Amino acid sequence: MTTLAAPQRTEEAAGPSHRASRPRGGRAGGHQHGGRLAYAILIVAALVSAFPFYWTIVAATRSNAELAKTPPTLLPGGNLMHNFQQVLEQADIGKALLNSLIVSGAVTVGTVLFSTLAGFAFAKLQFKGRNALLALTIGTMMIPPQLGVIPLFMVVAKLHWVNQLQAVILPGLVSAFGVFFMRQYLVQTLPDELIEAGRVDGASTRRIFWSIVVPIARPGMAVLGMLTFMASWNDFFWPIIALSSQEPTVQVALRQLGGGYVHDQSVIMAGTLLGTLPVLLVFGLLGRHIVGGIMHGAVKG
Amino acid sequence: MPISRAARRATLRLGAVALAGALLAACGSGSSGSSADNNGKVTLTIDLFGTFGFKEAGLYQEYKKLHPNVTIKETSTEQENDYWKALNTHLAGGGGLADIQGIEVGRTASVTQQMSDKFVDLNTLGAKDLQGDYSKAKWAAATTAGGQTLGLGTDVGPEAICYRSDLFKKAGLPTNRTELAKKWATWDGYLKLGEQYKAKAGAKSHWMDSISSLYTLMIGQQKERYYDASGKLVYDKNAAVKSAWDTSVKAAKDGLSAKLTQWSPSWNQAFSSGSFATIGCPAWMLGYIKGQAGTAGKGTWDVAPLPGGVSGNWGGSYLSIPKTSPHAKQAYAFIKWLTAAPQQEKLFKKQGSFPSNLGAIAGVQGVKDPYFSNAPIGELFGTAAQTSPVQVLGVHDRDVDQQITNALGEVEQKGTSSATAWSHAQKGIDNAVG
Amino acid sequence: MTLTAAAPPRTARPPALLRRRLAKLSPYTYIAPFFALFAAFGLFPLLYTAYVSLYRVELQTPGQMQWRGLGNYSALFGDDYFWTALRNTFTIGVLSTVPQLMMALGLAHLLNYKLRGRTVFRVTMLLPYATSVAAATLVFAQLFGRDFGLINYLLGLVGVQPVDWQSGTLASQIAVSTIVVWRWTGYNALIYLAGMQSIPAELYEAAELDGASRWRQFLHVTLPGLRPTILFTVVVSTIGATQLFGEPLLFEGSISGGISHQYQTLGLYMYEQGWGFFHLGRAAATAWVMFVLIVLLVLVNTALARRRTRKETAR
Repeated sequence: MTTLAAPQRTEEAAGPSHRASRPRGGRAGGHQHGGRLAYAILIVAALVSAFPFYWTIVAATRSNAELAKTPPTLLPGGNLMHNFQQVLEQADIGKALLNSLIVSGAVTVGTVLFSTLAGFAFAKLQFKGRNALLALTIGTMMIPPQLGVIPLFMVVAKLHWVNQLQAVILPGLVSAFGVFFMRQYLVQTLPDELIEAGRVDGASTRRIFWSIVVPIARPGMAVLGMLTFMASWNDFFWPIIALSSQEPTVQVALRQLGGGYVHDQSVIMAGTLLGTLPVLLVFGLLGRHIVGGIMHGAVKG
Repeated sequence: MPISRAARRATLRLGAVALAGALLAACGSGSSGSSADNNGKVTLTIDLFGTFGFKEAGLYQEYKKLHPNVTIKETSTEQENDYWKALNTHLAGGGGLADIQGIEVGRTASVTQQMSDKFVDLNTLGAKDLQGDYSKAKWAAATTAGGQTLGLGTDVGPEAICYRSDLFKKAGLPTNRTELAKKWATWDGYLKLGEQYKAKAGAKSHWMDSISSLYTLMIGQQKERYYDASGKLVYDKNAAVKSAWDTSVKAAKDGLSAKLTQWSPSWNQAFSSGSFATIGCPAWMLGYIKGQAGTAGKGTWDVAPLPGGVSGNWGGSYLSIPKTSPHAKQAYAFIKWLTAAPQQEKLFKKQGSFPSNLGAIAGVQGVKDPYFSNAPIGELFGTAAQTSPVQVLGVHDRDVDQQITNALGEVEQKGTSSATAWSHAQKGIDNAVG
Repeated sequence: MTLTAAAPPRTARPPALLRRRLAKLSPYTYIAPFFALFAAFGLFPLLYTAYVSLYRVELQTPGQMQWRGLGNYSALFGDDYFWTALRNTFTIGVLSTVPQLMMALGLAHLLNYKLRGRTVFRVTMLLPYATSVAAATLVFAQLFGRDFGLINYLLGLVGVQPVDWQSGTLASQIAVSTIVVWRWTGYNALIYLAGMQSIPAELYEAAELDGASRWRQFLHVTLPGLRPTILFTVVVSTIGATQLFGEPLLFEGSISGGISHQYQTLGLYMYEQGWGFFHLGRAAATAWVMFVLIVLLVLVNTALARRRTRKETAR
């Protein structure tokens, strides 16, 4: 259910795009130096991108009454701990973070594994119905999974899975995009000769998969993994239907907080801060690689 | 630009950790919210909406003291509409339900007529003995035709008007509650006073928070509203609905409202900012005001009886136990205690939720609230509760209400014409009743 | 372990025929996990949605289905709010997609210069993408507050009257679109940047030799080179806009998309039908209409692109 919205955006930029005809990595930057105006615009854009985060911090450290003042306060205050306490009382953010980690982790690992398996088969193996199945996969890639939630809910209700994490994990594993992405990746990076060489050595397909395909596919798997993880972490529509405040993911908890009892803006912002912090942390550590991954995914795919 | 080795490794490691976590959790998590271990320790979950005030009144802690083995965990949704949607989804899916669920009085018809198989019949746990503690109507609303009792009453919502005496004073209006009650003996009087206020108060402060609040007050005074006694939907033929609608629309056109949407963030903030001077006040709203206006608001608020001769009822609730609860017995013991007279009395004194338990009503007669300028809230709401009608409730009572107040919001916030807005309300109701 | 002794030695291979059969089967085991899940949680729900849309099914009793024929569809098309939602989806889609992609293109162009601190710029601009819809919307809902919001305050400083970002039709749609634009502009900028970097540098050098200004280079080298990328982002953004849901839901927490449905999108309309009014059948009908709409949009998009390419080659 999860992965479509975001990673979808990467793929076909790739498909039809031109393979780089200039040597890769030869030049770090663009063709010209940026002028002052370029810097000015970029700085403004960066500020606009970052300001809501700053505002979240300001609001999270204030009280509701302070937020209702004119002129508005633009500096952090000293109410953070109190607000955090309120958050923890109203929504189980701790459990939500753990649940989100479990769900996104399982979805990521599963998606990457299954996509690599299928992607390999579509890229390098011959079998009946291959083209038809691949066409089916690509054809449904563009369809938002949101459109299937009604039967999905009926099934999940029948299985009594409402409010259980597998209700979110299993549908999340379906990623037509992932299969397509890995197929494209392997078509381009995995030479047929390597597989042939493996066969000549008498290796089974399974051996070939684990000792030849996976090592080569790893960079692609890493990109797919990052995209899948973020999309799953941020998934909203299905989790708010299938889960509840008793067993929330971060997004469900945030929604709960947004509509929770003491409707206090500063508390909501404190919760938003708590829920976003882990992603920001990951971004701080891996930001460069994520940027690289997205751009890479865009060109390669 | 190949992704760096370090990133690859980091990502893989992240994945491994996550997978390990997932496996651990898959083994370890029973995902029902409540649990009991071998020592008889029980965690009871209670899922509520709006402002019940149990926690704020310290009742959970008190119960924990009496029963050290029981831990209470509350979750709460501000808007009853959102709460109801989630509750239905969870009932249908058989998961995500708490041991105890709050039910608003306007939903009781739906619960007793459509979902009696989803909730525990409390009579099987001994609730029959409690019947005498409640008015006939309060008890009957949560009881099915077959005699199953599906909820215990918490509070009722007798109506009054809460007002900002400091703002009244500034605008040169009387601040004495008896004097005001005389001036606004009728709704006309109330609106006339509003005109006076408007003339003095300036653009930043308005007479009332919203016309949907005004409408709800007026409709609360009616016995028959959206359904007739036979269970037929009659809202569009009911003259009382029409009259409450028209009065509300006129108040909007006259500029008496701050045009806020009830339960929205800006409505909440307006409690402390002084954007409005009066607000419709069912008893439970007292606690809400205290929560939103905070300690700074103490002494600036007061309460006076409702215009229109009789009082009305707005809200009030029940506590029910879904059949999925593994601790129905403990849950019942808890809600029985929670709705018993002494606790309802305490709740009124601290939070203002007016008791539905007859035993508690006698006990709160003399209560005054220092937050509300020492208003005799016990007497005031006691009288109101006696004069408010017993309402005929239907399956979609709350849905109809929601669509109409929503349409009124359109009138005041967007200047939509009365006729168009009314047709919108009808469309919305058609959709909801479907 | 006496049994192993009886078994053939490990090195022995299965007979050739069997091996060939296995080899024939084996590709399917690679795609099986995906297709099993895909069938259960992807394809089946989609097809079953069409089936459900012909029945009256209520959320409380999902097991009871009552034949309704095309009744859900006629009710849908007879509902003004459906048309409102369709219109809103379109206007919000335009309001969010057009500025988003234009700005992304501009930013990508700037990011493509040799810059100091370019990694910082890129990472910062991608930050919104990492934020969840829920978090972003809760923050923006506050910034767009009518009475105490920062944006109205800033507008007040330059003499603009406070805007009612919640109940105003255009205003609320702009506010909701802003959230989308904020979250996706940086991401699209990076996609464009990647596309730009794969345009051969010789083309720029040649253009420079011809004395083309930076602007002309952008028009005549960058844009044509980016065409496939642009088409892709347009298609994806269109689909994203068609199913917009979280932003309008959380903006005020209103399931009807505001007081007069002024920013209710089709996604939200579907949710309201299913989980607000509990009419699953009608929600399913809405889902199918959305499906057809998306297919149509994708077809139109690609057809347009194909026509342009054909014209191009003809030139």
